Amino acid sequence: MAKSGDGIRILQGLLVFGNVVIGMCGIALTAECIFFVSDPHGLYPLLEATENDDIYAAAWIGIFVGFALFALSILGIVGVIKSNRTLLLVYIILMLTTYAFEMASCITAATQRDFLTPNLFLKQMLERYNKSDTDNNNDKWMAEGVTKTWDELMLQKHCCGVRGPSDWQEYTSAFRSRHKDADFPWPHNCCVMDAQGSPVNLDGCKLGVPGYYNSNGCYDAISGPMNTQAWGVAWFGFAILCWTFCVLLGTMFYWSRIEY
Amino acid sequence: LLSSPPAPPALLPYVPRVPPAALPGKLTATTFALERPCCVFDRHANASDAVWLVVAFANASDAFRNPPSRADVPLYERLPTARSYMTLEAAAAAYACSAPSPAVLRVGGDTACGDQGGWDPCNGPLPSPGPYRVKFLVMGCQGPKAETRWSDPILLRRAGSPSTIDPAPARRGGDVVVITSILASLGTVLAAAALGAVGTEAWRSLCRRDSGTGTFSRRSYRTHHIPPALPQPLPPGCRCSPPGLGCFAPRPPAPCPAE
Repeated sequence: MAKSGDGIRILQGLLVFGNVVIGMCGIALTAECIFFVSDPHGLYPLLEATENDDIYAAAWIGIFVGFALFALSILGIVGVIKSNRTLLLVYIILMLTTYAFEMASCITAATQRDFLTPNLFLKQMLERYNKSDTDNNNDKWMAEGVTKTWDELMLQKHCCGVRGPSDWQEYTSAFRSRHKDADFPWPHNCCVMDAQGSPVNLDGCKLGVPGYYNSNGCYDAISGPMNTQAWGVAWFGFAILCWTFCVLLGTMFYWSRIEY
Repeated sequence: LLSSPPAPPALLPYVPRVPPAALPGKLTATTFALERPCCVFDRHANASDAVWLVVAFANASDAFRNPPSRADVPLYERLPTARSYMTLEAAAAAYACSAPSPAVLRVGGDTACGDQGGWDPCNGPLPSPGPYRVKFLVMGCQGPKAETRWSDPILLRRAGSPSTIDPAPARRGGDVVVITSILASLGTVLAAAALGAVGTEAWRSLCRRDSGTGTFSRRSYRTHHIPPALPQPLPPGCRCSPPGLGCFAPRPPAPCPAE
């Protein structure tokens, strides 16, 4: 051994500990990303219709990276304890690959947060909600997804439009071309509903009398979960990568010190 | 039989207006809301009179002439040509002080009428953003009995196209810059360290395989020590003989020749 026996033992212990932490974080990352991909808030159709669902791609990558980190951490522990050069070389190469993938996932998730502006969802809502004359199957699919998601969102979160019901008045929309303005200044799902699912006071809702319509915008209900997801994938991945950086450097140093 | 010309309708000082409360639906693209006039007509109308709402384009309000009887009331369908119409026919009792009433009237809220081209008064949606002016007119059996003043011009909403909305984000967040720069530098350091470690190993293994070119090898050349061979001990019974000639077994001395 090139170094004293104690020094090697300490380094081995640190590397084993580092790999244990990596393994546990890998499982946590997988679990977190599975949770996001399962779309508990039902907002995926909105993201799909923006034709840029990179947050979901980042979460999918996170699932596999987490699992790979767990498997590689076990390999690393075995390699360090046995001081086997081949095992450690394989470990280092595979870890570097996983590192690169996780980097991509983090940066993608962080970038996508900025992309989700209120105007993006406003434009999408106006153009796709209740759209009847769709160009092709893909268009039809996205329009149906957006319509269904917005209907549920307005009913469950008691909100209307992106910033408020006046969104429907300030702009023309696919909804407006199907429903007359006098009957539907805004969709009926914006009205306060009774237990049977019909508006409590339709005239009051059409006029905008407080108490009979939902005056809040839905942007907070949309961006809240999405930002949490992007934040979770990006920053947790970043933390794992910083820790993995240290462990990898230590492993490379250990590997270079093992004699044949 | 000449009847006396009807008295001109009494001019009430009330000015109709859009309710000042913050109702998002009080002005839409085809409808608008008005404050309900309460206790305004009580002195001039009895229970059998009808109160109508006159709606006219703002530039046609001066040219409007009160209809002499109910049969001459311009209806909703004639708005594009006559530039005015009358709607919301209601009994005068509906505007009485004691009547419980909703606080606003909605003009243009009835989408079911106007299609059949009937003679009934229709509160149909307004066809253009206006501006419009309105006034209330009390019609009795003999004709108009009282009227309010014209309102201020009411302009309806004009909706813009969603293609004017720009969905691009205002500026890059600080998160992205931090994460990208730190991760990029960490990745570079790792790649450099990996290349360095592998390069050093390749270097070392290259040197071990070299066998003689002294300039590259770092280890000292270990000579293999060949000890010189020691002389073998002579087998017993050999007389000394010049070395290299081998050894011969001594013969017994030949008997001496006889003397």
